[in-house]
Amino acid sequence: MQQTLAKAPVHAPAESPVPTASSAPAKGQTLAKALSIRHLDKSYALGGGRRLPVVTDFNLDLAPGEFVTLLGPSGCGKTTVLRTLAGLEDFESGEILLDSLSIARLPAHHRKIGLVFQNYALFPHMSVFENVAYSLRLRRVAEATVRSEVASALAAVGLEDYGPRMPGQLSGGQQQRVAVARALVMHPDLLLFDEPLSNLDAKLRVQVRSELRRLQRRLGTTALFVTHDQDEAMSLSDRIAVMKSGRIEQVGAPEEIYARPATLFVAQFVGKVNALPATILDEANGQVEIEMLGTRLRAPSPATGLPRDVLALLRPEAVTLGGPDSGLPGIVEDIEFLGDLTEYGIRVGDTLVTSVRSALGDAWKIREGDRVGIGFKEQTIHLLPRTEAAV
Amino acid sequence: MSAVAPAGMTERAQRRDWTLYWVYPVAAAFVLIFTAYPMIDLLMRAFTADGRLSLALLSETVADPYNRKVFWNTLILGATVAILGTVLATLYAYVIARVAIPGKRVWHFFALLPTISPPILMALALIMLYGRRGLITHDLFGLQTTGLYGFTGLVVAQLISYFPFAYLMMLNLFKGLDASLEEAASTMGANGWRVLRTVSLPLLVPGLAGSMLLMFSYSFADLGNPLLLGGDFPVLSSQIYQTIIGMYDIPKGAALAVLLLIPALMMFFAHKALSARMSFASVGAKGSSRHREVRHGGVRAAGLIFVGFITLVICLQYGTILAGAFTQLFGINYSFTTKHLVAALTKSRGALVDTLLLGLVASFISVMLGLLIAWIVARTRARGQSLLDFTANLPLAIPGTVIGLAFGLAFNGPPLILTGTAAIIVAAFVVRSLPYGIRSGVAALNQINRTLDEASTTMGATSGQTLWRILLPIVQPALLAGMIFSFTRSVTTLSAVIFVVSPHWSLVTPTILSQMDRGDVGEAAALSVIVVVMVLAVIHGVPRLLGGDWREAR
Repeated sequence: MQQTLAKAPVHAPAESPVPTASSAPAKGQTLAKALSIRHLDKSYALGGGRRLPVVTDFNLDLAPGEFVTLLGPSGCGKTTVLRTLAGLEDFESGEILLDSLSIARLPAHHRKIGLVFQNYALFPHMSVFENVAYSLRLRRVAEATVRSEVASALAAVGLEDYGPRMPGQLSGGQQQRVAVARALVMHPDLLLFDEPLSNLDAKLRVQVRSELRRLQRRLGTTALFVTHDQDEAMSLSDRIAVMKSGRIEQVGAPEEIYARPATLFVAQFVGKVNALPATILDEANGQVEIEMLGTRLRAPSPATGLPRDVLALLRPEAVTLGGPDSGLPGIVEDIEFLGDLTEYGIRVGDTLVTSVRSALGDAWKIREGDRVGIGFKEQTIHLLPRTEAAV
Repeated sequence: MSAVAPAGMTERAQRRDWTLYWVYPVAAAFVLIFTAYPMIDLLMRAFTADGRLSLALLSETVADPYNRKVFWNTLILGATVAILGTVLATLYAYVIARVAIPGKRVWHFFALLPTISPPILMALALIMLYGRRGLITHDLFGLQTTGLYGFTGLVVAQLISYFPFAYLMMLNLFKGLDASLEEAASTMGANGWRVLRTVSLPLLVPGLAGSMLLMFSYSFADLGNPLLLGGDFPVLSSQIYQTIIGMYDIPKGAALAVLLLIPALMMFFAHKALSARMSFASVGAKGSSRHREVRHGGVRAAGLIFVGFITLVICLQYGTILAGAFTQLFGINYSFTTKHLVAALTKSRGALVDTLLLGLVASFISVMLGLLIAWIVARTRARGQSLLDFTANLPLAIPGTVIGLAFGLAFNGPPLILTGTAAIIVAAFVVRSLPYGIRSGVAALNQINRTLDEASTTMGATSGQTLWRILLPIVQPALLAGMIFSFTRSVTTLSAVIFVVSPHWSLVTPTILSQMDRGDVGEAAALSVIVVVMVLAVIHGVPRLLGGDWREAR
């Protein structure tokens, strides 16, 4: 292993600006690096020789400049992966490569990886300026350079005038930006975000996340973002890796994850979904004929072969409601007003189908007990094997 | 070694994080040399006879009826002080915490005064007031009594010296009690007394036991009061002193020290077990700690009279010392003079300067070393950290006389001779303050979120740089408080230093003792006044001197 690594290509010195065509990095910015995580395994000792696996055979590749999100419920191991990359946690086996150079055995303080913490972890006894300057001071960078570097990092997050303030005098959103500036000033090879938006209130979260996205695009630094919030993941990421119990369930672009989830878990984690039992009758020309909700339909055929018994996934917003004569007949069982949308539970045969839509300004007022007809485009149906219906 | 050096990374950057590799040995070496070694040396002396391991010396010592009497005296005195002191402390704390009386800050201040003065000062004042030629016994009542000397005098002196520590403990407990529990009891129809009896007191039981054990161990450790007031009521600490200094019988002194050590260690571990249980007692949702004050007229009057009386007793002590320092000859000639003060400042200048200097040096070392050990314990997964923690904390359990004796003996011969040096005094101070340094260090570090360490690490800091640049500045206020505490503890102790002072390096408390021995009451009083002023100056001056603190900016 060491031999191959020794032969690995030598990189441009960190300080030399190497402009590229599309996303020209800012002055002094390191050329974006590719991250490759191979077969990462990590477990905690439980005592008595038993171990609890937290990350199992984890594989993920990030292209230079790519923004990838690890999405999953709490306890799925996503933060552990992040901390392992930063060098804050040990792991049993696997390899971590930055542009094909291993960083796995490098101590955390030599990794040059910027980590933005959930609680920001600003040093309370230092001013904003000193917080951002910290990594430069550790490297004994000349004072003039420190000033200009800190100034440009603060400018990048829109906090030019906040240098003299103490962290305790800042709002949550401002603290969060200081934490980002502090990570940026290192010109990190990799930017890691550990649920950095979860301590912000809902409105601010949306604003900061779009700022964050723009900033990352502009700087072109490869970034890995951890969250349990699917909206955050969808809006920020080039690709999303959905995790469950220490493993990756699916990696893909947000649209792909949403429209063609690999498992029911993924489908349910990224949004509401109708998982309706269906049976495949015939398959031809990239389409399958299925029977569901007591009727026969054509659905797009997934790439891989499916068993006869399947689940037909249908997002609620793909289900339209019409008069009792249109589509499949059903009865409105419950209505939940959510503000922007209204959610309807429709009983079709012995199945409950959920549909959402904006009910604002509707002339036709749907009430519980009303007879309606439901409809959907057949292309929106996504089929999964029914074996894991228990999830 | 590593072939995985990323481009641009220097040789230096590849070095490992070595901080723990020097911090740990330094801390471990100190604890080994200055805590473990002297104690083992002392035990060896007590458990050897004719160069072989033997119980002969110890059984001989125990067999001696006089020693048995001394042993029982020690236990009886300890038990009496523990019970009376806890009663006093609990009442005082209850009145301050719960009864609506005016002037609470004043009562609180005076109750704490004895915690910052040498206990020997209490004996001095008591002798001046109630001794053979005491102001009250002789001048006021015309008595020619020696009743002060012995059990009674010791109880009174130790009560005044040590009840404030128990008071502080009980006060925190009363303030920490969940008010909603008491409110719940009163909404169910219990009156004030019933609430106290059925709800508050049962919740306080572990605290009461803790306070008793605390008072017990303070009583064991006290040397100054038994030496001056003991009379024909010898206790172990004074007996050890007499055996070593008077008879120069080192093996017997060591055996007596072991005799004192055994009950002291038992108390300590009982207290430890108890506090572990106490933490379970407070399990539950966090309730309100705002308590309604008792406004009953009779209770208020009784409370005021009680705290007023105790405060009066304390003030009388300090007033007497002050008067003694500024009168020609207390008890005979009450005309004003500054000659004692001048004498104290000139003749005992060396002792004063040494005390201040060594006290400051020791408090600084104990706080820094305490932080390093706290860091090892709280922030690393180093092997053997709990053993290090345990050993460093052991001096909490060991009476000062025993530590002092162990130091005096162990460092009086090879392999490490420190007798007569400043180092032995500083080391004795540090060993005794270190547990408090560690405790406050651990508490302070536990307040700091670990992500601060991690943030610093990801930005390129070694753990040493993180400790120095992040943790140290943040815990600095706590360190300062720890330093002041350690300083106070060092300059007021007599027992721990009496065996290690030398003509080159003298200290104030032994000087006061020898002045008392010579009957030089005026100078002893003047020196006592100076010590108290010195401690007060450090407590109030040092924080101000070091300037503002970052938390003010918030």
